[in-house]
Amino acid sequence: MSLDNLRDLYQQVILERYKKPRNKGKTNPVDRYQKGHNPSCGDTIELTLKMAAEGNRIEDVKFEGEGCAISMASADLMADALRGRTVDEALEMVQKFQAMMRGEVEFPSEFRKLNVMQGVAQFPVRIKCANLSWHTLKAALEAAQGSEPIDVVSNE
Amino acid sequence: MTLAQERTLASKVRADFPILHQEIHGKPLIYLDNAATSQKPLAVLNALEDYYRGYNANVHRGVHTLSARATDAYEAARDKVQRFVNAARREEIIYTRNATEAINLVAYAWGNANVQAGDEIILSVMEHHSNLIPWQLLAQRTGAILKFVSLTETEEFDLAHYKSLLSERTKLVAVVHVSNTLGCINPVQEITTLAHQVGAKVLIDACQSVPHMAVDVQAIGCDWLVASGHKMCAPTGIGFLYGKLEVLRAMPPFLGGGEMIADVFLDHSTYADVPHKFEAGTPAIAEAIALGAAVDYLMAIGMDTIHAYEAELTTYLFQRLAELPEVRTYGPKPDANGEGRAALAAFTTGAVHPHDLSTILDQEGIAIRAGHHCTQPLHRLVKAQSTARASLYFYNTREEIDGFIAALKQAIDFFGGIFG
Ligand SMILES: Cc1ncc(COP(=O)(O)O)c(C=O)c1O
Repeated sequence: MSLDNLRDLYQQVILERYKKPRNKGKTNPVDRYQKGHNPSCGDTIELTLKMAAEGNRIEDVKFEGEGCAISMASADLMADALRGRTVDEALEMVQKFQAMMRGEVEFPSEFRKLNVMQGVAQFPVRIKCANLSWHTLKAALEAAQGSEPIDVVSNE
Repeated sequence: MTLAQERTLASKVRADFPILHQEIHGKPLIYLDNAATSQKPLAVLNALEDYYRGYNANVHRGVHTLSARATDAYEAARDKVQRFVNAARREEIIYTRNATEAINLVAYAWGNANVQAGDEIILSVMEHHSNLIPWQLLAQRTGAILKFVSLTETEEFDLAHYKSLLSERTKLVAVVHVSNTLGCINPVQEITTLAHQVGAKVLIDACQSVPHMAVDVQAIGCDWLVASGHKMCAPTGIGFLYGKLEVLRAMPPFLGGGEMIADVFLDHSTYADVPHKFEAGTPAIAEAIALGAAVDYLMAIGMDTIHAYEAELTTYLFQRLAELPEVRTYGPKPDANGEGRAALAAFTTGAVHPHDLSTILDQEGIAIRAGHHCTQPLHRLVKAQSTARASLYFYNTREEIDGFIAALKQAIDFFGGIFG
C-alpha cells in the first residue's frame, strides 16, 4: 500500500488522538454549547466551553461526537490549543486553521501541534472533516457575541 | 488472464467501458460504487454523440426531418423501456429526470388528489430518502399518517409486521425493491397483492433492482414503479415512472407547460393523454435515447445472465469478507448460490471509520462509498452512524474483489496496528 501519502494524512498524533482523545466530555459548567454537523457524512460534534470568570477567556474546552479519525483528532487538538485563549484569539485561530486547510499558512510554534493537520490539505474531500470542530467553535463564539444562535451548524 | 477469468461475463464486457481502464493514484481503478451510479458503455456514449452530431432537434414540435428523427428515437426508447420492465403498454412509461422526480410526481399528482387527513401510507424503515421525504411532505400537506415496516432479525423486510399495519385506512404502500444499504430483496409481489386486498395503491422503488435482474411490472402487479437510468448504464438526468394506464389517466397533471397539452386557451387548457401529460417542457432527449441504448445493451447480455454472474460475485465477496472478523455486514447473508441479496455489502469495521477507510482505499485506486447512503433512519436503527459500502456490477471481477479485500485488510492493520 502507498502508505507514504497516508502517513502524511494519518500522522501518529492524529491516530493517537482519535483512539485516545484527551478532551472528550462536557465542561463544568457549560458556558457555551454548540452542535455541529457534517450532513454529507453524518459526523457530529457537540462542543462545550467553560469561560473564565473575568469574561472573555476560554478556560476549558470539551467535545462529544462521532466521526472519522480526522474530525475527531482535529477536535481534540483544537481543544488543547484553545485553553487560555481569549475569544478574539480563538476566532483568529479559526481563520488561521481554515487558511492552513487551503494550504496557505502554518501556525506559529506555540501552536505547532495543530500543524499535523496540514496533511489533510492534500486530500480536498477530507478538509470538511478537519474543519468541522473549528466551524462549530466559530458558531459557539459568535453566538455569544450576539449573532443569531444556530441550533446545529452545518459545515457544508 | 486465467482460463476461469476468460469465461466470466466481466472479461467480455470490460472493453465496452472506457472509464474502467485508467489508473487512480498509480493503481488500476477498481470501481465498487455502482449502487451510487454505474459506468456507461460505449453504446450509450455513442448514442449521445450520434444524437448531438447527427439529429439534434426538439421532439414533437417540428415537421422537419431532424425533428422527426429525434422524435422517433425518443419514442423508440420508450418502447425499449416498456419491454425492459414488461409493461403492457408503451404509454405506461413516463420519462422523468430520475427516480426521485418520479416519486415526487406521484406524491404530488396522485397524492394531492387522493390522500386525505387520517389516511395511512406504509413505507419501510429501509427507504432511501427519495422514497421517504416526498411522503413526509405529502403527509404534512394532507394530514395523512406514515407507518413504517420494521426489520426482521436478519435485517430484512418484516412481512408479518407489514401485514399487521395494513388496514382499510391504508391508502398507499411505497417500498424499495432492493435496499441500497441492506441489499435485501423485498417480496414486492406479495407486498402488492396484500396491499391491493385492502384497496391501497403500491409504488415500488426499483432503483437497485432493474439494473441487476429481470423485473416484470405485470408480474409484480404494482401501480407504479420508478427507476433511475444512471444506475443502469444510462446517463444521469433520465429515469422513468411506470404506471398502470388507468391509474396514470386518472391522475391530474404534475408540471404544466409545453408538450403536455391538447388545447390551450388563456383561461384554461386541456391536456395531452399519457405519457405526454406528465412530460411538460422539452425533455432530456439525448438522455432518453441513450437510456434506450442502455436497455438494448443490458438486454443483449441478458438480465438473467447479469444476475447469475452477480450472484457468483456476491458469494465470493461475502466469503472473502467473512475472513475478516472485524467486519460486520448489514442485511441478509447470501445463500449457497449467492442468491437472496444484492451484489453489494454495507459494512463497518471496528477500528477504521468508513470515511477514513474510503480515503485509504482510494489511495489504492479503489472506489467505495462511505456515509449514510441516503438511508439515515435505517442507519440509526442499526446503530451505525455511517457505513462503508462496496457495490458491484457485471463488469466487476473476482480479482477486483481480491484487491478490495487486500486493501481492506491493510487498512484495518494500519489503524489497528498502531494501537495493538
Ligand atoms: C433505492 C434507491 N432509491 C432511490 C434512489 C434515488 O435515485 P436518484 O437520486 O437517481 O433519484 C437511489 C439512488 O441513490 C436508491 O438507491
